[in-house]
Amino acid sequence: MVRFLQISNDTLFVYYLISNLISLLLLIVAIYKNTHHRYRLASVRMENLASPFSPPISLLVPAHNEELGIVANVNSLLRLDYPQLEVVVVNDGSNDRTLERLQESFGLHRAPIVYVAEIGTAPVTAIYRSAAHPRLLVLDKESAGSKADAINAGINAATSPYVCVVDADSILEKDSLSRIMAGVMSDPQRVIAVGGIVRILNGSTVESAELREVHLPSSHIEMLQVIEYLRAFLVGREAWAGFNLLPIISGAFGIFRRDLLLQVQGFRAAAVGEDFDLIIRLHRYLLDHDTPYHINFIPDPTCWTEAPSDYKSLARQRARWHKGLMDTLWSTRDMLFRKRYGRVGSLILPYMWLFECLAPLLEIVGYSTIILAACLGCLSHQFFVEFLLFGYVFATLISVGSVLLEELNYRRYTRWRDVAWLLVYCLFEHLPYRQLTMIWRLRGMWEYLRGDVRWHELKRTGVSASASC
Amino acid sequence: MVSDSSWLRDLGLAWLVARAILLSLLGILLLIAFIVFRRWSRGCYFNRLSRRTMALRGQWPDILSGKIPGSAWRLNRFDCRIVEDILLDSIEISGEEELPRLLACLRQSGLLDFRIREARSADGWQRRSALLALGRTRAPEAVPALVEALESPAAETVVAAVRGLGRIASPQAAVSLLDLYVSEQLHVPEHTLKNALLNCCRRSPAVLVPYLNSATGKARELIARVLGELANPSLGEDLLTLAADPLPEVRASAARALAKVQPEVSFPVLSILALDAEWFVRLRAVIALSTIEHRGKIYVLLRALCDLNRHVRQRAAWALARLQHGKEEILEKVVATRDNYALQAFLSELERDDSLDKALEGLGKVVNRAAAGSDVENVAAAVRKHFAAPGAVAAAMNEDLVESGAAPPRDYALQYYLPGLEQRGSLDAALSGRGNTVARVPGATTVEDTAAAVKKYFAGLDKAADRPEEPR
Repeated sequence: MVRFLQISNDTLFVYYLISNLISLLLLIVAIYKNTHHRYRLASVRMENLASPFSPPISLLVPAHNEELGIVANVNSLLRLDYPQLEVVVVNDGSNDRTLERLQESFGLHRAPIVYVAEIGTAPVTAIYRSAAHPRLLVLDKESAGSKADAINAGINAATSPYVCVVDADSILEKDSLSRIMAGVMSDPQRVIAVGGIVRILNGSTVESAELREVHLPSSHIEMLQVIEYLRAFLVGREAWAGFNLLPIISGAFGIFRRDLLLQVQGFRAAAVGEDFDLIIRLHRYLLDHDTPYHINFIPDPTCWTEAPSDYKSLARQRARWHKGLMDTLWSTRDMLFRKRYGRVGSLILPYMWLFECLAPLLEIVGYSTIILAACLGCLSHQFFVEFLLFGYVFATLISVGSVLLEELNYRRYTRWRDVAWLLVYCLFEHLPYRQLTMIWRLRGMWEYLRGDVRWHELKRTGVSASASC
Repeated sequence: MVSDSSWLRDLGLAWLVARAILLSLLGILLLIAFIVFRRWSRGCYFNRLSRRTMALRGQWPDILSGKIPGSAWRLNRFDCRIVEDILLDSIEISGEEELPRLLACLRQSGLLDFRIREARSADGWQRRSALLALGRTRAPEAVPALVEALESPAAETVVAAVRGLGRIASPQAAVSLLDLYVSEQLHVPEHTLKNALLNCCRRSPAVLVPYLNSATGKARELIARVLGELANPSLGEDLLTLAADPLPEVRASAARALAKVQPEVSFPVLSILALDAEWFVRLRAVIALSTIEHRGKIYVLLRALCDLNRHVRQRAAWALARLQHGKEEILEKVVATRDNYALQAFLSELERDDSLDKALEGLGKVVNRAAAGSDVENVAAAVRKHFAAPGAVAAAMNEDLVESGAAPPRDYALQYYLPGLEQRGSLDAALSGRGNTVARVPGATTVEDTAAAVKKYFAGLDKAADRPEEPR
């Protein structure tokens, strides 16, 4: 027993050490990449990105029971600064008045557009166009119970070579499409998808679905998510994209080449985490076909989204994310360590298995064995405390690093008070927030293993549409 | 976490971990200190910047006229940067009258020479910044330094130079870019190059024509695309030749450009491009036709309304629905096509244009709108029923309209266009593509014979071809 505990503890030590070293490496790469990007911005701004040569984009907006904010949000999307833009709203079998609100506000009428389901979806019952907004197309479809199915219907109906997937409750900054397209236009032959940064809207001032003032939220749980998002996007995604190993483009804001989406049959409707699943399948498809490609991340085009503001909703969201992670990793397990899949198969997928998917399990085992070892008296108390302290301090260093990146390059939070709060909350991200998310993720793992892959609806307050929040 | 007897313990890891904790703590403190210091120093910098900018703006007329000599602010790095920023911002928004005065200040103060030297001798981001600043000056003497940078081995520097040349916006800059691009020595993202050429050739698009004639493949497509945006009536004949290009992208650009030349020149060619084998060329031609004033375009648009491609159909319906007069007659003709998709698309566009009720009233209120409801399919069924009455469709074939639509195309347009097609071996394909174009007249061996056949075709344009397959 003692021997088992020794091996277990030693293994966990090595695990944490590697995990922290990878985090440090990612932070260093992210600082370099962010600084490089800041320099490049001066040059990019010299070019008229919204020129007549900018390729058309179809914005796909899946909407399920979004009556609270759909009109304001569609209005805000129609006002985006981009020359050739089509907004495709997919009403995914809403039970509320989402469609009626759209019909009343935009003067929709049925259009005799032939819908060709190049990607199979639940039936589209009607297509509407607006008299007032020629760029708006609304699809009314039966719900298949997944956001992916609604996006696929939008991909079928889209007419542009690029499609941008946006959540119906998110707000895009006015020039975000021009900025994200800069990531495509730098190398249109190779860049097949680009992700932008997603930031938390809670606490900011919003008028008619437009962001007026950026502020931090007031509740602890929302604040911790702000730090978490900064770390995930500015450190994780930026660094992985630097190695062309980006494993995910957020479902809330990403741009894709439409022809490729058609070739991979769009988002997998049965996937729990359709955004992660799509990117891994794109990697697989392009590596299978020996096609040179790059999946990019650009940190300045911003999408503001509403984060869960209560523990129950957050727990559900995290459980669902973990189910999505497990689902995709399991369905792509044949890519692991296969030569054909290069660094994707030998680096990012093993990383996702080891340091994302199994992390909550390993952590809980770690905590259990430590307590057991302490009870059996085979643990150096001094070393135990030191190591826990090291894990905490080191992880906090990475969080503070992400605040540094924000402060160096983007400075969305202009007030001293906001920056001070960001730094204070960095101290709480790894104790106790991390342990909480670990429990929620474990729940997701358990539900997935039990075969429960239902999509639990999150409680929304409709902050993106409110006058002020 | 690690047990007393483990091999890790033997390595003195407790000591190592303790040091790692201290290092991490130190790292956190340093990062926080850096964030606080940077924020504070930026605040001070911007306060100072705005104070000094206000002061220099107060002296601006004297700085510009040279009453305050350049040496008074040039040697102070901070002031020099502010003055340069103000100057460059002013140049960006200045008109032709004000520009010489601003450029004179830039030259006399030595700022321009300083930036040119920096663009030639500096490295990395400093050089790129200098190139971008040079571009913003719009000074002709900045062009050689920018052109030199096009040969840099650093891709980012080349892109900065192209952007700088684009900002200079002079034909001289365009010539430098085009020389290198056509000889395949310039490798930059197409979007950047197109934007730069668009700026440089805005006032004299004819600069592009010789390069277009000598370019092939991708380069030809790119130059044609820029020309398509910048075309003006003086380029009419060059555009006619482009319309017969074997590259579909070039033909699409020609269609785009032809919207901007005289309708009597563009209409015949657009009519033929509207029958192109490539859908996006047909779409471009239909969009161009929707913008020109020509009576005959109705017939080409009616044909496009029955196109196999839904984008072409929708755009044709959009164009037809927005014609000011004769909507009832057009409606009759749409029914005469016996194409349900075309009829629905047209009715839908009429509805979006708020003119459906008026068009139906023009038919003598034979269609009961209230009974048909808001569904376009019901309205279409009612309209079809109305025109199914004996003699109604015959009325749709109004001879007067047919004759006005068949106004003979300008001979010289055909003479340019058809030989071009013949020369590139694509005449037959253009005439017989997809089964809905003109069949070459049996025995017609010369271009003149073919031109006669095309004229005849325009005269009989209302003979709608049968739909060979379901539309997309």
